[in-house]
Amino acid sequence: MMKSMPRRTLLGAAGALVAMPAFADVISSAKMTASGGMVGGAATRKKPPYRIGFSNGFSGNTWRTEMLASLHNEANRHPEIKQLIVIDGQGSITKQVHDIQNLAAQEVDAILCIANSGTAVAPALRTATHEGIVTVPFNLPVSGTEWTAYTGTDPSNKGYVLAKWLRGVLNGEGKIIALGGIPGNSYTAAAWAGAKKAFAGSKIEVLAFKDAFWEEDKAKVVTADLLAAYPEIDGIWADGAQDGAGAELALLAAHRPLVPVTGDDYNGLLKLYARYHASEPKFDIAELSEPTWESVVALRLALKLLRGEQVPKETIITPQLITSANYQQYIRADLPDGVYVDTNLTQAQLKTLFG
Amino acid sequence: MSVWKTFPRRIGSVWIAVIALYLFSGLASPAMLTLHQLLNVLQVAAFLGVVSLGETFALLVAGIDLSVAGVVTMTNILATAFMGGPGGSIALGVAVPLAVAAIVGVINGLLVAIVDITPLIATLGSNAVLYGGALLYTGGAPHGGTRPGFAVLGQGSVGGLPASMLIWFAIALACTVLLRHTVYGRRLYAIGANARAARFTGIAVKPILISAYVASSLLAAMGGLLLTAYIGQPALGIGDQFLFTSIAAVVVGGTALTGGVGGVGGTVGGALLITELNSVTDILRVSTGVQYLVQGTIIALSVLLYRSIDRARRTRETT
Repeated sequence: MMKSMPRRTLLGAAGALVAMPAFADVISSAKMTASGGMVGGAATRKKPPYRIGFSNGFSGNTWRTEMLASLHNEANRHPEIKQLIVIDGQGSITKQVHDIQNLAAQEVDAILCIANSGTAVAPALRTATHEGIVTVPFNLPVSGTEWTAYTGTDPSNKGYVLAKWLRGVLNGEGKIIALGGIPGNSYTAAAWAGAKKAFAGSKIEVLAFKDAFWEEDKAKVVTADLLAAYPEIDGIWADGAQDGAGAELALLAAHRPLVPVTGDDYNGLLKLYARYHASEPKFDIAELSEPTWESVVALRLALKLLRGEQVPKETIITPQLITSANYQQYIRADLPDGVYVDTNLTQAQLKTLFG
Repeated sequence: MSVWKTFPRRIGSVWIAVIALYLFSGLASPAMLTLHQLLNVLQVAAFLGVVSLGETFALLVAGIDLSVAGVVTMTNILATAFMGGPGGSIALGVAVPLAVAAIVGVINGLLVAIVDITPLIATLGSNAVLYGGALLYTGGAPHGGTRPGFAVLGQGSVGGLPASMLIWFAIALACTVLLRHTVYGRRLYAIGANARAARFTGIAVKPILISAYVASSLLAAMGGLLLTAYIGQPALGIGDQFLFTSIAAVVVGGTALTGGVGGVGGTVGGALLITELNSVTDILRVSTGVQYLVQGTIIALSVLLYRSIDRARRTRETT
């Protein structure tokens, strides 16, 4: 679901962060900050109607499904968009590079992109940018700076915030396990790097860091193994809440008390919390969202650039923090676990999407 | 001939490895020797265990089935869709995936036996179709869930023993009887050893080939049902983990990729070995990269070992 390059690489040459006016709609309740200076203007202006290409690294998880639905909804709201071409990279780095090249060959006006590999797609995006195509990678950073604009959250900061919360809940000491996503993915690497900074200087002991593929069943199996070795687990750090939910299910199966856990805005963990928090006094949650409406922000940035307006080089979205204090505002009790709750899709749209 | 010289062949080298790894893992981490962890490993091994039983059928006829991952995913998606929510039922949630799996198996079998497409290509294509089908069916947004009466199959226990393990062993016993004590089984082995010779002896090769792929798909679906009972949720791609591990379990268990040699007993050991390996490397906090390295090395070594055992046996038989 998520992979990224280290945030430091991208922000190394950036200027000071400045708050920026939010978009004037439901998404405007989110905080976004700008960095890297302003780009666009006359250099990116094109005459409508526009043909927009979107290279989606892969589909096949619910976050991507919601993200795509939001993108299509937004595109339908803009009559100046003549065509939205969506190409699925099917998880293949090579295919995605070829996809981007194909979009450029079709002379689209803008290319949006969620990269399977931030390094592999950089040359293709660079070529497209030099050919006058507006390029907006989002969600997962692309290395270098030779793309027009970028938007997404900061995984390193997310990992830090979640770890800081866990440290606080455990009063600075305790034994935890850490669960990441697909082995070798850079999103987890960045998030975990941030988390370690938050744990530094505390008496938090990390018993194990394991890849759990952001899948509940794998997280459940891995945690079941770790429970055999470690009689005491006081908390769970995870960058994806499917991992967190799977780990808690393993605790349930082993008749062990549920513990504080972190993750993203996966509905399944919220539902698990709603079901068990009353009977499990130590059970607590902190979820930092990965907004599925990032695609909307990316599209709007592209349209602004095509209209000849200026936008920040990087627009960093501040995610929603969901805890025991406010989870009821976010939980979708009548929707499947796979829903990501920080979404601009309406309840009716989600029900249609999830059948 | 000394009993000890034939010991590996008789018992199956994989079982020696299973016991040796278990003892070694106990030395490395006493936690592995607890009853709780032993039952945990057996519970989880059942999923790979049942899927790889099916793969055994495909390999025994000198074929291969790369569609098992897609079958498991489709099973999970369909089971939760037809079981969860109003109007859903356990019966539907079980029957529909099994029916789809049977159809997939027939198609795979026809492609291999009648159309004469290489099994690797035919089943790889089926895998892609199944995954695409799952995506289309769900629109990328799977829904549904399981019911408590079903979930107990993957999460419950009987007499203290994991239900999933008991089901796995029951299926393995049934497969053993079918393969070792029936005419059908003898013919299946004969086809795997030499399909042409089998045909000349009057064996109806094509129907048995097709049946092997049907068995493979049905058993993959049963493994998918157990996994669905364990996790209770739909997840696109849940079957991906079985694409190559199912083959590895069968090969490590002593079934030859060339067909006609091997069986259920070795596959059960192979599934246990791989699950045991994952478990001990989790407990020892070994990184995923090292886990893959160790798995790959064990698979390669086991193939070399079986090749040398076969060579030694052939030498004994000719002298």
